[in-house]
Amino acid sequence: MKIRLLSSLALLMAALVLMVACGSPTPAPSAEIRAVLPTDPLTLSPVGKNDRNSELIGMQITDSLVQYDHELRIVPRLATSWELSSDGRTVTFHLRDGVRWHDGEPFSSEDVLLTISKAREPATEARSYMSQFERLVALTAPDRLTVVAEYEKPNPDFLESWTIPILPAHLIAPEEDLLTSEFAAHPIGCGPFRFVSYSPGQSVVLEANDDYWDGRPGLDRIEFRIIPDERTSYQALLTGEVDLLSVSPPIWRESRTSESAAHLDRFTFSRLNVWYLAWNQDPAGPFTDPETRKAMMLALDRNTFIDTVLYGLARPGTTTYHPDTHWADPSLSPRPYDPDRAAALLAEAGWADSNGDGILDRNGRPFRFTLLYPRGSQEIAPRMAAWMQQSWSDLGIVMEIESLEWRAFLERRNAGNFHAVMATLSFSSPSPDQFELYHSTARGGVGFNFFGLNDPEVDRLLEQGREQFDPEKRLATYHRLQQRLYELEPLGCVFHFASPVLHKPDLTGLEPSPLDLWRHWPGPRSWRRAGDGD
Amino acid sequence: MRRPSPSLLRQVVRRTGQAAATLLLVLATVFLLAHLAPGDPLSGASDAESFHRISPEREQAIRDLYHLDEPLHRQLLLWFGDLARGDLGRSFHDRTLVRDKILQRLPITFGLNLFALVFMIGLAVPLGALAAWRPGSALDRWAGASTYGLYAIPVFWAGLLLQILFAVRLGWLPLYGIAGPDAQELSWWLRMADRAAHLVLPVVCLGYGGLAYLSRFVRANLLEGAQAEVKRAARARGMSEWSVVVRHGFRQAAVPMLTLAGFILPALVGGSVIVEEIFAIPGLGRLFVNAVFQRDIPVIMALTLLSGTATLAGILLADLGYLVLDPRVRRG
Repeated sequence: MKIRLLSSLALLMAALVLMVACGSPTPAPSAEIRAVLPTDPLTLSPVGKNDRNSELIGMQITDSLVQYDHELRIVPRLATSWELSSDGRTVTFHLRDGVRWHDGEPFSSEDVLLTISKAREPATEARSYMSQFERLVALTAPDRLTVVAEYEKPNPDFLESWTIPILPAHLIAPEEDLLTSEFAAHPIGCGPFRFVSYSPGQSVVLEANDDYWDGRPGLDRIEFRIIPDERTSYQALLTGEVDLLSVSPPIWRESRTSESAAHLDRFTFSRLNVWYLAWNQDPAGPFTDPETRKAMMLALDRNTFIDTVLYGLARPGTTTYHPDTHWADPSLSPRPYDPDRAAALLAEAGWADSNGDGILDRNGRPFRFTLLYPRGSQEIAPRMAAWMQQSWSDLGIVMEIESLEWRAFLERRNAGNFHAVMATLSFSSPSPDQFELYHSTARGGVGFNFFGLNDPEVDRLLEQGREQFDPEKRLATYHRLQQRLYELEPLGCVFHFASPVLHKPDLTGLEPSPLDLWRHWPGPRSWRRAGDGD
Repeated sequence: MRRPSPSLLRQVVRRTGQAAATLLLVLATVFLLAHLAPGDPLSGASDAESFHRISPEREQAIRDLYHLDEPLHRQLLLWFGDLARGDLGRSFHDRTLVRDKILQRLPITFGLNLFALVFMIGLAVPLGALAAWRPGSALDRWAGASTYGLYAIPVFWAGLLLQILFAVRLGWLPLYGIAGPDAQELSWWLRMADRAAHLVLPVVCLGYGGLAYLSRFVRANLLEGAQAEVKRAARARGMSEWSVVVRHGFRQAAVPMLTLAGFILPALVGGSVIVEEIFAIPGLGRLFVNAVFQRDIPVIMALTLLSGTATLAGILLADLGYLVLDPRVRRG
């Protein structure tokens, strides 16, 4: 009996294996690509309570009035041209004629009006667009192909908000909740790709829009497979089930020596992000003076860490003005590794080991603090924390490490309840306006200035930069701001990370922008699949 | 047919009432814990942090959509009120219906668990019976050692090894997912075969760990059942050792087995996070873990309701089974 049971099990397994062998997936057609999303898109509505995946998909489905290209310049898309009034408060957009939605309806100024009114509705929860259109006082459409936007105050960065994906007015009722609407389940746009299907937890499928106004895309089909585990998606790339994958530093390193990954093409591209250390400038903590904060950065041997732990995938940072935007001040460079200078600065700031216990102290208080960072998403974070702990302990500073799950971390950080925090910040546009990051009114949980910088000079420069339209003068203002920030070091910009990408060699035309591989113009529209796929 | 005695009926009613009260208590506790845990459900995801500022009025309007500023007891009452109308609410995360989210994933998790149980029981019962047949023999020791060995292997590691061997190296089985990319275009039979092939590795991963426990459980109960005088009497009647184990052992073991049956119901609806992550399976385990990270309280509550109901129903059914099978329990 037992023998029969076991052998029938074995037979069953064999039968299964055979069936699979027969039914194995056919090779992809030549102009199809399969990419990976680690999580489901939050919504399929291009405007909404968005996450990165939703934006990435939304940008393929629909178009915007203007868009950033891969060098972060604004290019016209659905708007052919625009004029700014002499007072800088009114902008007139001229829209492209002959653009059609995927269902054949013509695109018009009505669509723009509806999109902006939906984006400003609290129920849409498009926080980022909501904030960008906060200062818009009126939006009108004098005719089918003209839109006039009037702002409360002039804003030199007004075009940034017009990268918003445009929605079809004829499919969305004005009173409808966009996130729960039928449209959000089956989005229709006027972009280079049409939405085909979405299976939660499995895949999102897009197909080329044959009638795209700017020419049919080179790819016939994009399939996003939803694979949460990075190992699994890497294996899927190796077996050829996936054509393109953004990977983490450890997988990147593995792929460089692994024979099974030798057939893949690879590149890295710089992203507008910064891995920061924010020093709480509250007088109760140790980081009240710029000298102490600068000393902390001087004590870090960043280049060695990049070479040994980060596989060369990062650059030391200087300020939050990313070196790949034209706003970065070329006269500033990252603080070097200089432990002697660090020790000297600490002494200047009044730190000394007065009681001989090996720990620095000032006014009777030892230099002890806790570094807080979010757990999980970045496996590199614990190693960075350990490296910093070691570097600073050489100076006589005691650092404790505390990691919290993301939302608990946010609550602590935004309440200012920390000594120092470490996390990453991504920029969604090259705009130099970092008002919400550094202005004194952005403190106290209102903006992003949770570390409590309060400097009149910084405030003045931020206010000034917001109102200057002359590019030269504006550049000078932001250079001045960076110099001031460099002196104050309110936020240590430890690294700018690069993103490594692995892909099949017959996938060509990949031209990343510092914003993303997918989210810019032309993005996937210019990708090609040469040869016969597998 | 014999009518159930009034005392039996009373017991049934009492135990059902106890189970319902427990469920309410569990739901209220989970609700409070989810709300009191640090972290705001409306704060953004970690991959998209950027700075922006919206007016306090708009911020408040967003919070009002979710009734997040109502007193906790009112929020809980609102939730129970909706539940009474069969409404599980909308997710805080993406505002889709919680019911739809669960219905999309429940069949997947249920199917996976069912196959895993069949796999586990199908292997554990014969293994346990074999071991009980000659306790202490080489076969018994081998079965024990190998199942305990399996038990000690962490799932994420086993999953990765199985993937590398069967999907990457040999290419026999799919690497991940629940269906191939072209499954829609296949005939019904091939589509089922595709499904089955996708199930093999996850089912093995879900099942192998339980083999040790289950086969030892079977073995212990068979031995206990077959040890007694019954066994000696049976032997005296000239029955073979094997039929002593099977015919008497299994019957005696029925009552303790019922305890196990109580665990099967919740096991069918509980998702396994690790297996779902590794094999990219959209099941309830990942839904629950993501809901916890996102503070998606309506989803947390609905899944608590589901697993709580299954657990209590399992226990209740096992209890009622005892009442029917074992007269001693009925009286006590």
